[in-house]
Amino acid sequence: MRIRAAASAALASVSVLAIGWMVGAPAAESLQATLASATTATTTPAASTTPAATSATTPSATTPTAGTGEAAQAPAAATAPVAATPAGVTGTFDGSVVQTRFGNVQVSVTIDNGTITEVSALHLTDHDPRSVAISNQAAPILRSEVLTAQSAQVQNVSGATYTTAGYLQSMQAALDAAQF
Amino acid sequence: MSFDTRVTQRPLRVAPTPRIRPEYKRRMRLADTLQVLCFVSVAVSIALFLGDGGAARFSTPADAITSLGVLTGLVGTDLLLVMMLLAARLPAIDRAFGHDSAMALHQSLGKPALYLILAHVVLLITGYSLAGKVTIFAEAWSMITQLPDMLLALAGLGLLILVVVTSLVIVRHRLPYEVWHIVHLLSYAAVLAALPHQLTSGSLLIAGSAQWYYWLALYTGVAGSILVFRFILPVVRSLRARLVVEGVDEVGDGVVSIRLSGRRLRRLKASSGQFFIWRFWTPGLWWQAHPFSLSAAPTGNSLRITVRALGDASAALPGLRRGTRVSFEGPYGLFTDRARTSPRLVLVAAGIGVAPIRSLLETATFLPGHATVILRAHTAEDSYLADELAALCQARGAELRIIAGKRPAGLNTWLPAKAVSARVSLKTLVPQLRESDVYICGPRRWTDEVVRDARSAGLPTRQIHFERFDW
Repeated sequence: MRIRAAASAALASVSVLAIGWMVGAPAAESLQATLASATTATTTPAASTTPAATSATTPSATTPTAGTGEAAQAPAAATAPVAATPAGVTGTFDGSVVQTRFGNVQVSVTIDNGTITEVSALHLTDHDPRSVAISNQAAPILRSEVLTAQSAQVQNVSGATYTTAGYLQSMQAALDAAQF
Repeated sequence: MSFDTRVTQRPLRVAPTPRIRPEYKRRMRLADTLQVLCFVSVAVSIALFLGDGGAARFSTPADAITSLGVLTGLVGTDLLLVMMLLAARLPAIDRAFGHDSAMALHQSLGKPALYLILAHVVLLITGYSLAGKVTIFAEAWSMITQLPDMLLALAGLGLLILVVVTSLVIVRHRLPYEVWHIVHLLSYAAVLAALPHQLTSGSLLIAGSAQWYYWLALYTGVAGSILVFRFILPVVRSLRARLVVEGVDEVGDGVVSIRLSGRRLRRLKASSGQFFIWRFWTPGLWWQAHPFSLSAAPTGNSLRITVRALGDASAALPGLRRGTRVSFEGPYGLFTDRARTSPRLVLVAAGIGVAPIRSLLETATFLPGHATVILRAHTAEDSYLADELAALCQARGAELRIIAGKRPAGLNTWLPAKAVSARVSLKTLVPQLRESDVYICGPRRWTDEVVRDARSAGLPTRQIHFERFDW
């Protein structure tokens, strides 16, 4: 191989790789952002403004109880975090639909008098058989973790990063809606 | 039947230097472009993964191993497709590198490609089993049973291993050519069988994504090239040319010249020194295809090959009847005047390698006195086509040197013992070697020795041309 050919090949290959990297950067970043927002939202509600990768569906409570129904319509970010007292919140709240590259994720959270009693997955990543398998494996782990932690601030389930991110973000939206 | 008996190439009697350089430059540009494309295709297959945000999926050991598994699969498959293109008889590849070099590259990519695919399998099973916290065997079993098209991919892998193993030098020389060839054609099935699992089990090549479009275009392009240039074009050319055996002339012990006639052969754009892969349609021979070089310059209605009937069914070649139908693939090869870079010419032949040398001499570009033909033989009598060569040399003003004698035992040389002790070499035989293109055709080991001699005389690669016969 001549020097000119080798140089052009190296240059062209590096350019192609750089372009691939740049194209992929938003996808990689949104994953990081999703993880970050899901796990930091509880401490600063203002940070839970919807990241670009998530859908804009407004979280709404399916069975709002008296006193929290009005608050559920407005995003938590709009009001001061101290507006509602967490204690006494009761109901089942659907989280937002979070789009990931392996499919949508949505969970619903049941809260009984200020305690998270149940988190159920309404929809999990289903893009391909492998994603379904991963999600089915990760969901029970995430459920028990968030029930123990009583928040969306839990560890990433390794090998199921996208499911974890979507799960926790959708759950955080539900908690925000419940003014939890 | 047409009556176009003129030769398709004419010997030029003008000083050739100005014509040859631009041709060489064009060829090198094409070769560079093809090599760059080859490397870029590997880069693109990595970029497919990066473009999907793959760079972020290296944070945990399980993720990193899985990501590497995806990458090795992509690069390995890309190399397999490159290999298939190299063997697809693409005109551009033949023009830039010649069939010989292209096949040598094809051969050298075989093992790396297989290793990458095997790494793909091992890494993905390991990565998934780490993520799922199960044993490797449990993970492998669940992947085969639960993921779609995995059995098909596994079958493809089995075929691929079979193809590569039968192509290892040790195994290959113990197999009849036809058996090896049929096994080798299974590589098409192997690569096709791997496609469904890439599209259904993976999460990268998702229908409608840019990656998906690129990957399918790549597969389609390769499949289309193979179909057109390996199968359709040879059939169409054979049907058009309507080649039949015109006559068989005995040249020496078991060596015959086969004259073929056909129509409108000018359209093949065949050159002296090129070879075709021939198939003679007789009951005993039709299932075998043989590569043989032209031993005379092609004309508008005739071709001639000179062959040595070696073993198996090719022993039946001297008995070919007049009128036997002949189909062919070709012409192939860069062992032609088109590869020239220098004004003078040195042609070196041994054994049946004299065939392409004889046709080259007929039409190559050189001034009288600027060409030397070196014919190597065991004895002065056992060389083939020597009388034809002598007549051509006289007509075109080339010098003919017949060097007879056995090679000395235990010494790596292409010359007989007597010449070695007299310190004869290519340089002493041809004083103006540095301004010459050297064309070498003979048995593999012998050819290597001549090439070595030419290199040690300081001849650059672009001035050394050789073709090897054995498969």
